[in-house]
Amino acid sequence: MAVIDNSALPRKPSEVNRQARTAWGLATPALALMFLILLVPVVVAGILSFTNYSLGNTGFDWVGFKNYDRLFTRSTYEKMFIATFTYVVVVVPVSVGLGLGAALLVNSLGRIGDVYKTIYFLPVMATLLAMAIVWEFMLHPTIGVINQTFEMTCGTVLEVIPFLANGCADGFPLWLGDKDYAIWVLCFIGIWQGFGFNMVLYLAGLTAVHRELYHAAEMDGAKSGWERFRLVTWPALGPTTVFVVTISCIRAFQVFDTVEAFWPQGGGPNKSTYVMMFAIFEKGVQQNLIGIGSAITMLFLIFVMFLTLIQRWLVERKVHY
Amino acid sequence: MAGLSINRVTKRFGETEVLKGVTLEISDAEFVSLVGPSGCGKSTLLRIIAGLEDPTGGEIAIGGETVTGTRAADRNLSMVFQSYALYPHLTVAENIAVPLRMRSLSSSQRLPLIGPFLPGASEKRAEIASAVQNAAEMLEIEALLDRKPGQLSGGQRQRVALGRALVRSPVAFLLDEPLSNLDAKLRVQTRAEIAQLHRRLNATFVYVTHDQVEAMTMSDRIAVMMDGEILQCDTPSIIYEDPSDIRVAEFIGSPKINILPIELREGTLSLFERAIGHASRGAQPGIYQLGLRPEAVHLATSDPFLTGTVAHVENLGAEVFAQVDLAGQTTRVTCRTAPAARDQLRLGAEVGLRFDLADALIFDAKGTRQRTVEVSLNQPVEAA
Repeated sequence: MAVIDNSALPRKPSEVNRQARTAWGLATPALALMFLILLVPVVVAGILSFTNYSLGNTGFDWVGFKNYDRLFTRSTYEKMFIATFTYVVVVVPVSVGLGLGAALLVNSLGRIGDVYKTIYFLPVMATLLAMAIVWEFMLHPTIGVINQTFEMTCGTVLEVIPFLANGCADGFPLWLGDKDYAIWVLCFIGIWQGFGFNMVLYLAGLTAVHRELYHAAEMDGAKSGWERFRLVTWPALGPTTVFVVTISCIRAFQVFDTVEAFWPQGGGPNKSTYVMMFAIFEKGVQQNLIGIGSAITMLFLIFVMFLTLIQRWLVERKVHY
Repeated sequence: MAGLSINRVTKRFGETEVLKGVTLEISDAEFVSLVGPSGCGKSTLLRIIAGLEDPTGGEIAIGGETVTGTRAADRNLSMVFQSYALYPHLTVAENIAVPLRMRSLSSSQRLPLIGPFLPGASEKRAEIASAVQNAAEMLEIEALLDRKPGQLSGGQRQRVALGRALVRSPVAFLLDEPLSNLDAKLRVQTRAEIAQLHRRLNATFVYVTHDQVEAMTMSDRIAVMMDGEILQCDTPSIIYEDPSDIRVAEFIGSPKINILPIELREGTLSLFERAIGHASRGAQPGIYQLGLRPEAVHLATSDPFLTGTVAHVENLGAEVFAQVDLAGQTTRVTCRTAPAARDQLRLGAEVGLRFDLADALIFDAKGTRQRTVEVSLNQPVEAA
């Protein structure tokens, strides 16, 4: 049949223009909102980071890169970088590893798995601020349950452990008040709070692993659990891992509420837990130094953007088959 | 290479009994198909042979040795899965190499960075590479060796799965519906290739399928399974021509065999209350079932046994199948005719059908074949 399909013919230019105009018209409100509430604040923060503006002032002076210069020369900010990176480097691998381990164990269980799932997820659901107060009580140097428990071991055989022996002789750590311990306690609470979330993400990833692949691995001679994990589970969890690591990194960079709850005045003993988010809060809000606050914010954004770009690159290149 | 023997294997999942004491002897280098409708337990049986599933009772022996307690990895069997189960992150060459790597390299030699430099590793790796190359040549997939499974078509993946199975020399190959994900044309082609592969490797093949055509065309013997039992295990021609159970007769053959109720009384055989023949002496009177393959039924020129109207015609070119609604009955009969008879088979046309009782299979009311009941047609009354 020789019927010419009308839709195959090129449309008239005026009709194309009209459709394009309508499309732009419909997209404009969303685009305007996106610019106004997402992009403009970033640009404004970027501009303010080159000024000495304070909230309430009528004007400001341009100071060039002075704010950034301070970030890389003052020892306070050196401590900020050390605290932030220590936290990220410790919390991310440990919480991802624990999340994966817990997910594999929970996944291998039947119905009891749901109970474990709920228990591990409890710290994620709880408000970190409220939990921080509980931790503060427990970690109290004299009346806290942790040090009291340690004291009970004094005079028993457990004193062969050097940590307990030293504690019994010279007193147990002050935990939150000790500059050598504060950052590690912070890391511990971050891991405790975060790994349940990673576990849930990994559990979702595990449901996508094809059951028959394990049978194929068994037929191919993969006898140990580790071999099956290397051959089937770990590659299948690649996309999940990239996502979990990125999310954990961003969350670790954003740590704030525990620091604020434990040390509302100044970021821990000797600024040992002076993390970036707290620095932004302290400079930009408490001390009304908008310029330096904005500079830290920009640096923070660059870190997070960098992580996101690495994730995109990995997802596109490596982990999708 | 070795034979397999399956001895009174049972399997239950909770309350459900999936296998009810299956016994089957498979000799060395034989190609046996397990065929049956879905849910008959054929895949479960294959997985029990493989060792991926433990039987509830009974035992499996490979080459005379009982392997019931042995884990799958130690049974030295190869399996091709319905979903192919290729490792998505590995290239085709790496996929095919996995069984060799797992078996011939030690766990330290398999390590990603230092593994290749350990003593003995490089020779073994070279051996593996040449074995992979040979398998790829046999299956004509050399050009695909560097691709990932995600970049392959269904047919290509199927070949890779076969390659992974045959790259080492297992004692037997187990294939679980390997063709069911392929399109019709590719299925016919691959069917022939698997049969050729079997002749070439001269290995034991156990092939699970629900497609009776696959079973008929490839196997040395077919085991027809239903409801957790093997009903009959014989060569394809015996299964088709001489089934011992009505369920076997109904499952094998396309279009399906026609089943007509017949009554035997006082030596007279009647079909729909019309006497058409007589039975030999000694046959028990009662209700029987008459199985007629479509090719046994033909259009009658005179004195038809059955009359009816043409309800549906399938023209396959070389042959024509007509479904005839019998007059006054709910039964429908399929008959095969030559293309020349097409003109008579207009929809709704009245036709008469005849058949020769020598081609008929007699089953009792329960469906068991009655080989002793011999029937013959009444001699047509010659017009004087």
